Amino acid sequence: MIELKRDVLVFRFPKVHEDAKMRVDFQRTLRIPDDDKDYPLPAGLGRFPLRHVDDFAQRVPQKWIDHGGIMLPMYQSEALWINFSAGQYPFAVKVAAGKINAVTGDSWTDELHREPQDYMVVPHQPWLDGYCIEKGLIRQFVAMPLGSGYSAEEQITGEAEHGGLQIVVYPLKPELYRPVARMTRGGPMFEAEFLCAAAPAAFDMGLAPGGKMRQEIYDDTYELSDWNQERSSRCFVHICNSLAWRAVTQEAPPTTPLTAREYKNYGIPWFEYYADDAKAVQGSKLLGKLKSVAQLGKEKGDVPLPDNESIQPEKIVQLRKGLSKGQVREGTF
Amino acid sequence: MPASFGRYVRRRREALRQQDSAYSVRQLAQRIGVEPSYLSKVERDEEAPPSEEKIVRLAGELGEDPDVLLAMAGKVSSDLKRIILARPELFSTLIRQLKDLPDRAVSRVVREVRDGKW
Repeated sequence: MIELKRDVLVFRFPKVHEDAKMRVDFQRTLRIPDDDKDYPLPAGLGRFPLRHVDDFAQRVPQKWIDHGGIMLPMYQSEALWINFSAGQYPFAVKVAAGKINAVTGDSWTDELHREPQDYMVVPHQPWLDGYCIEKGLIRQFVAMPLGSGYSAEEQITGEAEHGGLQIVVYPLKPELYRPVARMTRGGPMFEAEFLCAAAPAAFDMGLAPGGKMRQEIYDDTYELSDWNQERSSRCFVHICNSLAWRAVTQEAPPTTPLTAREYKNYGIPWFEYYADDAKAVQGSKLLGKLKSVAQLGKEKGDVPLPDNESIQPEKIVQLRKGLSKGQVREGTF
Repeated sequence: MPASFGRYVRRRREALRQQDSAYSVRQLAQRIGVEPSYLSKVERDEEAPPSEEKIVRLAGELGEDPDVLLAMAGKVSSDLKRIILARPELFSTLIRQLKDLPDRAVSRVVREVRDGKW
């Protein structure tokens, strides 16, 4: 079962094990420059608000109601990362955007696959920031209007049909459960300074591949048969243009995202995460061939990303899985 | 004897610390924004539990449900208070009627995120 609590999706499998609980939230973050350089991980800048689509049935597209699930607001060209804050119980988690698998680039299927691995193992995998384009490298999730041609879905299928994010979670079989460590990635929490929303805009958003970031998707060290594929929970996460959020929900949308310059001026750190004992998956050739938002914008004669100047990351915090005494894990902000 | 707030927090933190030294009192206190000596006293039940905001942050760090941790501290989250105060008659009746039901029956009325046709 999945509940929505304080803008967090809580996946629970009480019939599998009392510890089988996992939380997923969606973090606002800096859109890193889309300049073909690769960057460390930016910090989380607070959670996106999450709402049941059913609560706004009169004001969202019928297909959102058909899909069920939840919705969140994003500005055009805003970035997000997915935070998996599990306890210690392991889960296989499959994530797609526009029903394109974020690890393999394949079309959505509910089931788990191993060759190539099309899912992540939580809590070994603490976060996902984008599409896995090669080993150790992702392209950041960047929101663009569905239909504008930038999303991975549109580049791969030629259709602007699904948008949003799709997540399915499978628990480990309980007889194999041994508690494992988890990781957190900090950042300052900005209190909302609400803006007045503009007129309603076309609001269905997809996630396009943005700038390159160093992030590994880790190999599953379990056997495929270790996952309980008879017990899964899945959620469709619709992305509503922030400019339409007030019209849909009567709530103010979040503040506009920070620019790279503001990020630097606030002294917000960057992060590098190392899991020395883990191997990374190879990444997807299909996803690797996608054009980033900036590349595609240039071809179209469009400027889809404001404030896209290159920056030099400062204050990089090293995060290491299984820290030994004295190692730094988080910065002080 | 039910676990006190402090003992429970200490047990959860020490379990996590066995795998990750970032769960030392010092580092955890830093992450939730309190002094290490204060957190240490809370864990020994020598200080009252911290504020709601700190407990919610603590729950996030420990992978615990914030409402459960707040309840162990004898608190109810302010958003729940607001919900009840907005419609006191309706929600007080509802809660009283549900109070003796077994967990399984109560969980039937918990709202789940609905899955549809993809």
